[in-house]
Amino acid sequence: MKYRKHFTAIIVITPVVALLTYLVLNAIYKLPIAASEEAVIIEDMFQAHFILISALFALVMTFMFYSIFAFRRQPGDEEDGDHFHGNTVLEIVWTVVPLVIVLFFGYWGAVMLSDITAPEPDEMVVEVYGQQWSWYYIYPEMDDMRTSELVLPAGEQIRLEMTALDVLHSFWVPEFRVKQDLVPGQIHHLRITPTIPGEYRLRCAEICGVQHAYMLGDVIVLSPDEFEEWVEESELAGEPVPAPRTESSVAGTPAD
Amino acid sequence: MAVTAEGHHEHHDFHEEHELELPYAQRLQNNRLGLWIFIISELFLFVAILMARFYLWRDPATGAVIRPELDQVLGLVTTMILLVSSVFMALGESAMERGDRKTFSWSLLLTAALGTLFLIGVVGLEWRGHVSPRDGAFGAIFFGMTGLHALHVLSGVILILIVWWNGRKGAFTPERHWGVEATAIYWHFVDVVWVFFYPTLYLIGDAVPIH
Amino acid sequence: MRTLALLFSLGIVRALVGQAVGMAFGYGLVAVLRQALGLEPSPEAAWVSGALFSVLFALLFAGVLTDWLKWAVGKETELRHGPPEDKPAWTRYFGVDYNHKVIGIQYGVASLLVLMIGGILALIFRLELSFPGMQFLQETTYNTIFSAHGIIMIASILLGVGAMGNYLVPMMIGAPDMAFPRLNAFSFWIGVPSAVLLVLAMFIGNGWDTGWVAYPPLSIRGPLGTQLFLLGFYINGFASIASAINIIVTVLTMRAPGMSLFRMPIFVWGSLSASLIQATATQTVGLALLMLTTQRLFGLGFFDPTAPTAGIPPGDPILYQHLFWFYSHPVVYVFVLPGLGIISELLPVFGRKPLFGYKWIALSSVAIALVGFLVWSHHMFTSGMSEFLRVPFMFSTVLVAIPTGIKFFSWIGTMWGGKLVFPTPMLFVLGAISVFLIGGLTGPILGTVPTDLHLHDSYWVVGHFHATMFGGFVFPFFAAIYYWYPKITGRMYNERLGQLHFALMVPGFWLMSLAQMRLGLLGMRRRIADYEAGLGLDFTHAIVTISALIIAWAILIMVYNLVASARTEPVAARNPWGSRSPEWQAPSPMPEFNYDRPFEVVGDPYDYGLPGSRYVDMSPVAAGD
Ligand code: HEA
Ligand code: HEA
Ligand code: CUA
Ligand SMILES: [Cu+2]
Repeated sequence: MKYRKHFTAIIVITPVVALLTYLVLNAIYKLPIAASEEAVIIEDMFQAHFILISALFALVMTFMFYSIFAFRRQPGDEEDGDHFHGNTVLEIVWTVVPLVIVLFFGYWGAVMLSDITAPEPDEMVVEVYGQQWSWYYIYPEMDDMRTSELVLPAGEQIRLEMTALDVLHSFWVPEFRVKQDLVPGQIHHLRITPTIPGEYRLRCAEICGVQHAYMLGDVIVLSPDEFEEWVEESELAGEPVPAPRTESSVAGTPAD
Repeated sequence: MAVTAEGHHEHHDFHEEHELELPYAQRLQNNRLGLWIFIISELFLFVAILMARFYLWRDPATGAVIRPELDQVLGLVTTMILLVSSVFMALGESAMERGDRKTFSWSLLLTAALGTLFLIGVVGLEWRGHVSPRDGAFGAIFFGMTGLHALHVLSGVILILIVWWNGRKGAFTPERHWGVEATAIYWHFVDVVWVFFYPTLYLIGDAVPIH
Repeated sequence: MRTLALLFSLGIVRALVGQAVGMAFGYGLVAVLRQALGLEPSPEAAWVSGALFSVLFALLFAGVLTDWLKWAVGKETELRHGPPEDKPAWTRYFGVDYNHKVIGIQYGVASLLVLMIGGILALIFRLELSFPGMQFLQETTYNTIFSAHGIIMIASILLGVGAMGNYLVPMMIGAPDMAFPRLNAFSFWIGVPSAVLLVLAMFIGNGWDTGWVAYPPLSIRGPLGTQLFLLGFYINGFASIASAINIIVTVLTMRAPGMSLFRMPIFVWGSLSASLIQATATQTVGLALLMLTTQRLFGLGFFDPTAPTAGIPPGDPILYQHLFWFYSHPVVYVFVLPGLGIISELLPVFGRKPLFGYKWIALSSVAIALVGFLVWSHHMFTSGMSEFLRVPFMFSTVLVAIPTGIKFFSWIGTMWGGKLVFPTPMLFVLGAISVFLIGGLTGPILGTVPTDLHLHDSYWVVGHFHATMFGGFVFPFFAAIYYWYPKITGRMYNERLGQLHFALMVPGFWLMSLAQMRLGLLGMRRRIADYEAGLGLDFTHAIVTISALIIAWAILIMVYNLVASARTEPVAARNPWGSRSPEWQAPSPMPEFNYDRPFEVVGDPYDYGLPGSRYVDMSPVAAGD
């Protein structure tokens, strides 16, 4: 076959380029640490996507740059290129192979989604309220204690019951990887299972007006023991007061 | 890029030929196709607001499809009026095909009159009726759907009057009356839209009384 | 005096004057009426009326509506073509003209102007973002500027799509003009007041802060500028629908003898598919915007989540998102389908080889357009829409990769074994392929829900869509400008400057989008005026700003090249690229009605390298050319 030499070259070069691309991408594409069970699960899919991106990018680019060098018209040459119109078998191959790949990703995504949203029997409920431009939380399991920072125990699944009091906001702690919009008048939930004790930042990820950039919140993940302590302390201090539920003009208050 | 302006005519040998009208048959074909694509386009608009209606008019507690209590008699009457108007529109169009200017003339006038009556029924009466614009999703969708449709009826009436006026002055012939044809198609379309709007507004779902 | 009179005879000047007059009229009308009726003044209602009248007056003053109004009172009008008789020839480019090539050029110049406005806005907010902390903007200003950047750039793309479609489609299919020349002029001219409104929205009543998506409830509470932005966006829809209908009809009915659908130049397929989307989906965003407007004006509670009384259902903010994305997802394919068509069109010319898999490429455009209608909710995975919708939309989303992949692989097939040459248009085609590839490949990771939960509303998305829009529209558009420049002006552009433009712009862009994606993964949110120091974002942000400046220089070079070369460069050969396409067999610039006589299509469009084959059979051109 006429192009054997060229195809051999491509077959040799592409994996090298793919590997290089992957290394470069890995240097550029960095994720924050994975601090929740969901984050750890999703991590695989990120990596799979990065590999897919590298491979396909390398494939197309190798062919393109190879053509640029191998098939460029030499000075003085006035000829046209080879005459062929297409190849149905090839077309079918590059329809079917990507089809299989994306269907796999779709399937995997569906399974993973049900995995990270599956409730555990003893999940803890925390109500999250977003308003221009701050957050507060209510712990219905602790006498409706109200706090302005989100304190969570590590290793336990939390169901966040979220609603907004004015406009859309969005709950995002990058280390937890998952995100959910807060919609006024509606309650939506998000499940997270923090794993690593520490301090995180909650960032509002939906434009919500002038101070959207500064709509941040502190999230503190404590070890289970510390969390118990915190609960007791807060109750002793008589502090975090029960929430005034009438604050919102919104119809919905979180269900328990 | 003003320099490009020197372009276009310098090299070209048809200085005299400043007018390019396509042959009438071709224009007619283009016009018909264009109008139908426009109607498909409009269909997206009306279907979208129908979807919005089914999305929003639900019982907050049960999720059942509901509708506000409206004046059933008025609804039925206005609907009949609009349907009848379409008959006269068709009559007028076929009259023009035959060259019967007299029938054409009064049919169109009658169509416009019935269209106006419809507008009076919907905008003049029903809008003052049970639902007010501030009634949550009821108000929004009710005024949205009827308002959007009324705008189309209004533009249809204006078109009909224009066509009627020009027809009287002899602008159309049995062979050449695209204006009449287009107006008729448009009017029938607006009518058919109401055929879907009427039951969604007046009939489907449990009626919820307001006020 | 003479010059002043000449100035006021220009359509564009009249349109702008008309817009100002209409604005004053509409504003005053409402103000006076409300006064007379004893209502309290409502600046918002007054501005809305002002905006609507401003559009009407702009059209009236420019003279686009004249013929139609005459028809309405029963007067026949003739369709005048050719340069004006009593004025210098160049004036036709600044006024209402019915020639599709003139309109195409008007679109193109407008697109570049608007691109520069949007780009300058980007540069302003990029400078602000170079470092953490607020530098020189207020938060409100930042929000207004990035929102305006988004919508103005999109307006620019739509103008650019119009430019390519109008200029190229009739020429390529051998038609003397578009099917509806008057409607064609209308489509362009209504875009002008709409663009003015969008720019104006920044300056009136505190601007607006919703981004280009205008999600309620924010867009309902937002300042007055929001309303003007909504109207500008809405009016733009008329232009889209009208010009799409025009292109569809032109392609379907006005092809040269022998030009079956599968013998059309491939660009026409891209334009046709894009028009199918534009003609239909635009209606739903129009509806969504209209709903917002009426909610702001009359209190219709489509999207208001509070129920006025028990038992009455409340509105729902999420409904807006469905209506909005039902248009705004498909529209991204409106941006790219013509651009990808340009890539497919130019590759065979510069590869000296037939297009690989013509039918597959043609049909993949249609497939992208159709599947594109079924994926809109992938913008809403985290919005709180019904959860069972997420999985089906995940599947439909990743399916778009397949027809797009067909294009890429067919492009490879087209280059393979060719005799590639690399003038500036080809450079931009190759750059476009590389950039659109990374843009496309960063799509499926957004399409799979678990990964999107992290990436949504982060700079990853920003990187993704700049790459798709640059790769799928901006670079192909530039390629097209260089490629047809000799056709438009009769002169060649400056090759060295073209290469310089390329050498700055493509690497500059690569830097920018990779940096944006990195930011997103690290946790940088979209639409924020300020970010915290110490998250590892600072350096990367500085890189984005620097690359933005590089891109800006590159574009300035292009503009200089386009303006200067029209005077200084030598007259171009009739067919400088050795293309088989019919427009290159005719003289440049094209005659008024394109071809003296209809040509006949006797072969396939891309049979480069097949001795003796011909695509079109041109009648002999009159002597003297
Ligand atoms: C020109 C515009 C354009 C184009 C072409 C695309 C193309 C695609 N886009 Fe993009 N997108 C935008 C413009 C565009 N997008 C914009 C403007 C936004 C943000 C809007 C906003 O919020 O402001 C956005 C946002 C956006 C989101 C929402 C993100 C979020 O906010 O959470 C998603 C999610 O699914 C998405 C997905 C895709 C996919 C799957 C494609 C696919 O069509 C890509 C297909 C192409 C390829 C995949 C590459 C080539 C294919 C192969 C080489 C074959 C083999 C491939 C595989 C097996 C994978 N896009
Ligand atoms: C075609 C579409 C398009 C184009 C070309 C661009 C071009 C650029 N975009 Fe934009 N962008 C969008 C469409 C586009 N963008 C959209 C839709 C959004 C979303 C908005 C939203 O969130 O709602 C967005 C948002 C967006 C953001 C996110 C803002 C935020 O979320 O806070 C950023 C940030 O870096 C950005 C940067 C840039 C930069 C640096 C360029 C550069 O390429 C710009 C380069 C510069 C120029 C093109 C100007 C060159 C010309 C001159 C300098 C001429 C000077 C002349 C005189 C002085 C006479 N864009
Ligand atoms: Cu709250 Cu952004
Ligand atoms: Cu999309």
